[in-house]
Amino acid sequence: MATMDLTDVAAGDELPVLAQTATLETSVAYAGASTDLNPLHYDADVAADISPTGGIIAHGMYSMGLVSRLVTDWAGGPEHLAALDVRFTRPWPLGTEATFGGTVKEVGEDTVTVSLWGRDADGKAMLRGSASLRR
Amino acid sequence: MALNTDRIGHTYPPVTYDVSRAKIREYAAALGETDPRYSSDGDDCVAPPTFAACFTIMQGAEAMLGDDELGAHFNLVHGSQGYEWGERALRPGDRLHLTTRIADIVVRRGNELLTLEVDCRFADTDERAVLSTSMLVLLGSAPTDDPRPCATEGA
Repeated sequence: MATMDLTDVAAGDELPVLAQTATLETSVAYAGASTDLNPLHYDADVAADISPTGGIIAHGMYSMGLVSRLVTDWAGGPEHLAALDVRFTRPWPLGTEATFGGTVKEVGEDTVTVSLWGRDADGKAMLRGSASLRR
Repeated sequence: MALNTDRIGHTYPPVTYDVSRAKIREYAAALGETDPRYSSDGDDCVAPPTFAACFTIMQGAEAMLGDDELGAHFNLVHGSQGYEWGERALRPGDRLHLTTRIADIVVRRGNELLTLEVDCRFADTDERAVLSTSMLVLLGSAPTDDPRPCATEGA
């Protein structure tokens, strides 16, 4: 099961950084898997009309899913994740790389709290969030 | 057109979702997940946490857009998302009952912030599997001279 069980963590610890380039392939795969088939995420003509960037952007939920992967890999498994909250603060254009990471904020008796971030290729905040983990 | 704030607190009829091994595998692959349990053929197969997106995001959207009294529209962005999971993992064969509720509607800078909750419970025990809270930003439809208080939080 869990490989780490959050026994040896301290406030201030940094989670490993996850880097991912969003592409048409990742976007179509996530659309099909999640059943969110909004064409904003794979159709350039639709995106030209309605996208905040004028181009195709990744699903916000794709970035949240990557953050979840980052946190659960670090914590030792999905059973540790009790809550995850994110705000999507900037779109993620296809063809660009985003990075995700986090910092341990608080270590309690039963719970570890982590703050999370996602940045676009220019280093601007794309996502902000927090996770509550069961030890 | 502005949203109908009389719909705050409205709960839509529950719908059923059946968790399948193939969908868990497909979802985990789309995220590049490497935990072998997500692709296991055995009894240890579990779903990654945000697999909940498969049955909460579109469920909420369908409830909202199918509600003639609400007045929602497609010109929107996803402002924020929260999930709270119970201790029991989702596994292939689990049946869930999903209940969507309009938790809040507030106005902020000409936009309307619509918060939807989807309460997802195991059909066999009624134990909560996951609670989804989605805040959607409906762009440009806020009424002018709106008497409602402005939200302090948003996209």
